[in-house]
Amino acid sequence: MFEALKSKISSLSKIKEVLTEGEISLDDSSLRDTLWEFQIELMECDVALPVAERISEVLRERLIGKKRKIGTSVEEIVREAFREIVDEIFIHSLDFDEFIEKTEKPILLVFIGVNGTGKTTTIAKIAKRLLDNDYTPILASGDTFRAGAEEQLREHAERLGIRVIAHRYGADPAAVIYDAVAHARARKADVVLADTSGRMHTNVNLMDQLRKICRVNTPDLVIFVDEAIAGNDAVERAMRFEREVGIDAHILTKVDADAKGGTALSVVYETKKPIAFFGTGQRYEDLKKFSKDWFLKQFLGE
Amino acid sequence: MRMLEKLGKSLREAIRKLARSGRVDEAVVNEVVRDIQRALLQSDVNVKQVMELSKRIKERALKEEPLKGMTAREHVLRVIYQELVNLIGKPAQIELKPQKILMVGLQGSGKTTTTAKLARYFQKRGLRTAVICADNFRPGAYEQLKQLAETHGIPFYGEKNEKNAVKIVKNALENMKEYEVKIIDTAGRHALEEELIEELKNINKVVNPDHKFLVLDAAIGQLAKEQAEAFHKAVGITGIIVTKLDGTAKGGGALSAISVTGAPVAFVGTGERIDDLERFDPDSFISRLLGIGDLKGLIEKFKEIEMEKEIKPEEIIQGRLTLKDIYAQLEAMNRIGPLKQIIQMLPFGSLGFDISDEMMQVTEEKLRKYKYIMDSMTEEELENPKIINSSRIKRIARGSGTTPEDVKELLKYYRTMSKALKGLKGGRVNLRKAMKHFRI
Repeated sequence: MFEALKSKISSLSKIKEVLTEGEISLDDSSLRDTLWEFQIELMECDVALPVAERISEVLRERLIGKKRKIGTSVEEIVREAFREIVDEIFIHSLDFDEFIEKTEKPILLVFIGVNGTGKTTTIAKIAKRLLDNDYTPILASGDTFRAGAEEQLREHAERLGIRVIAHRYGADPAAVIYDAVAHARARKADVVLADTSGRMHTNVNLMDQLRKICRVNTPDLVIFVDEAIAGNDAVERAMRFEREVGIDAHILTKVDADAKGGTALSVVYETKKPIAFFGTGQRYEDLKKFSKDWFLKQFLGE
Repeated sequence: MRMLEKLGKSLREAIRKLARSGRVDEAVVNEVVRDIQRALLQSDVNVKQVMELSKRIKERALKEEPLKGMTAREHVLRVIYQELVNLIGKPAQIELKPQKILMVGLQGSGKTTTTAKLARYFQKRGLRTAVICADNFRPGAYEQLKQLAETHGIPFYGEKNEKNAVKIVKNALENMKEYEVKIIDTAGRHALEEELIEELKNINKVVNPDHKFLVLDAAIGQLAKEQAEAFHKAVGITGIIVTKLDGTAKGGGALSAISVTGAPVAFVGTGERIDDLERFDPDSFISRLLGIGDLKGLIEKFKEIEMEKEIKPEEIIQGRLTLKDIYAQLEAMNRIGPLKQIIQMLPFGSLGFDISDEMMQVTEEKLRKYKYIMDSMTEEELENPKIINSSRIKRIARGSGTTPEDVKELLKYYRTMSKALKGLKGGRVNLRKAMKHFRI
């Protein structure tokens, strides 16, 4: 995972060359090519274009500031500069387990996102995690539109031995989720995991529907599920969901498809919302908690 | 269609830049190439591919001699056009004949929905079509395809409890012999899942499909290339279907898939409803993308098809527009691009005539309706639309299954067009003069 990006980081050593070969002065023009190459490499790892441009710009500003220290561990300066940026981006964090522990029950988590990012599978994985931590989750089948959605959720619930609250196809998802929360309250369940239909953020009516779901049910967390393999659009749609519905955390799925990692950097950079988990496979246990250190390790191989 | 939408906008801006600059020199070319580059990168086109393309455009634009009679600006436009054509590839051949189609792709790319849409496409064209669910992995996949198929009267085959997908497919082919088109949905998988890739190879062997469609999410990033490569290696991709173009994703990943598989984009998915599937035509796509006022190119294109389509560009330019011209243009639409495109190509800007938004928004669908209306007109009415009075309008509306408002709208559209073209009247058009004030 992230092998590509890790190897790209080595191109920073080119900057090192530039810095150590005393004769080349570190003005804009001498840095331009190297940083452009670095920016290209960020983009090859799915860092969105505007974010890659910004990172490159910040690197330039910081490296020019350091030029007096030529000859003294320049590589460290460069790595530091990039690490600092990554650090600043991932300042937003969420400890999911702690959040579950401290929040009044029943907790409502609503999962939203575009079509096919893996909302339903992710919900099943979260349910498994909650079960393992001795909580009682129930599922709310808020995807009353897509063919087979309810069956998909039901099948997971059967495998995990938990309950599903569902109405018929075409029902109001806000009502389904409302019922699920009432059910959780009555039966002392701890967490309601609410599935919703995948929708394009350009569909006004469906975004209205999401707003209604949140208005009626006031979820404790709105979790935006997207795939780590998405490119520039990941930022675009995350921002739309954030603006129009409001999101509290990201989950990035399909990391096991050899995702390049840059998507994580981009979405957090733009939305300033933390990543709770990564999805890393099709099994229930394939859900990895996100941490900055873990990411840096993948990213910089440290 | 939103595919590479941003690219179109940036391209047009870049070209405008080219038009504004007095002299086409290296600096101008660099700037234009940089704009195109950014647009492509933001559309998720493979980074290496973008860099190669920009290098080629630069080299050719600066080193190649412009064709005789071409200005430097036209030369650069021509290079950009040709390189984009190479990038976007050839049109796909989708024949309406008995065939087997295998659907492959990553998890969540939209295979099942697209399987149903594609079945509907063939069903509507009169072929007996069935769908087969070979996804016995994802919970709910069986129900999803079954529900979609049954809602639209498409026969469905699947085995809910069979663990062996290859066996399901064998049984399906045995049971569904009577159907002319058989579309097989498979479980989502990615290149690193070796067992699943192996399974796909086995399904491919058993089915021996005529088409193997790679279903690709328009939002996919740089991974598109290696995933497309892996699927191509496993089964040999013959066509690409780009899904979810109704969002904001630009579908640039498809270009790397085209380049590594050599397969064309056959269809694009533009929504969740079963009819939200469109054929993809590279030619009209590129003309829309460029949206430039390339009058010369237009006339060349017209000439290519003049024989069969009876279009007389010189007459149009001279302002003698009849409904027949509009009709012929509609007929040729697939080959040239929509009418608004043609309008954009004509140098109205030089005459101080602005093309109204209303005119630009005339959709292809509407133009198709216009065609039905014109089919209900007499020869005389087509030649001389002025004679169409209210009783004729009523008759035409009845005959074409439209409303009198539709007919009036067409007439209004015709009048706007003629008015626009009158600006060019006065015998031969002085192309040089027109081009001089060319605002695109």
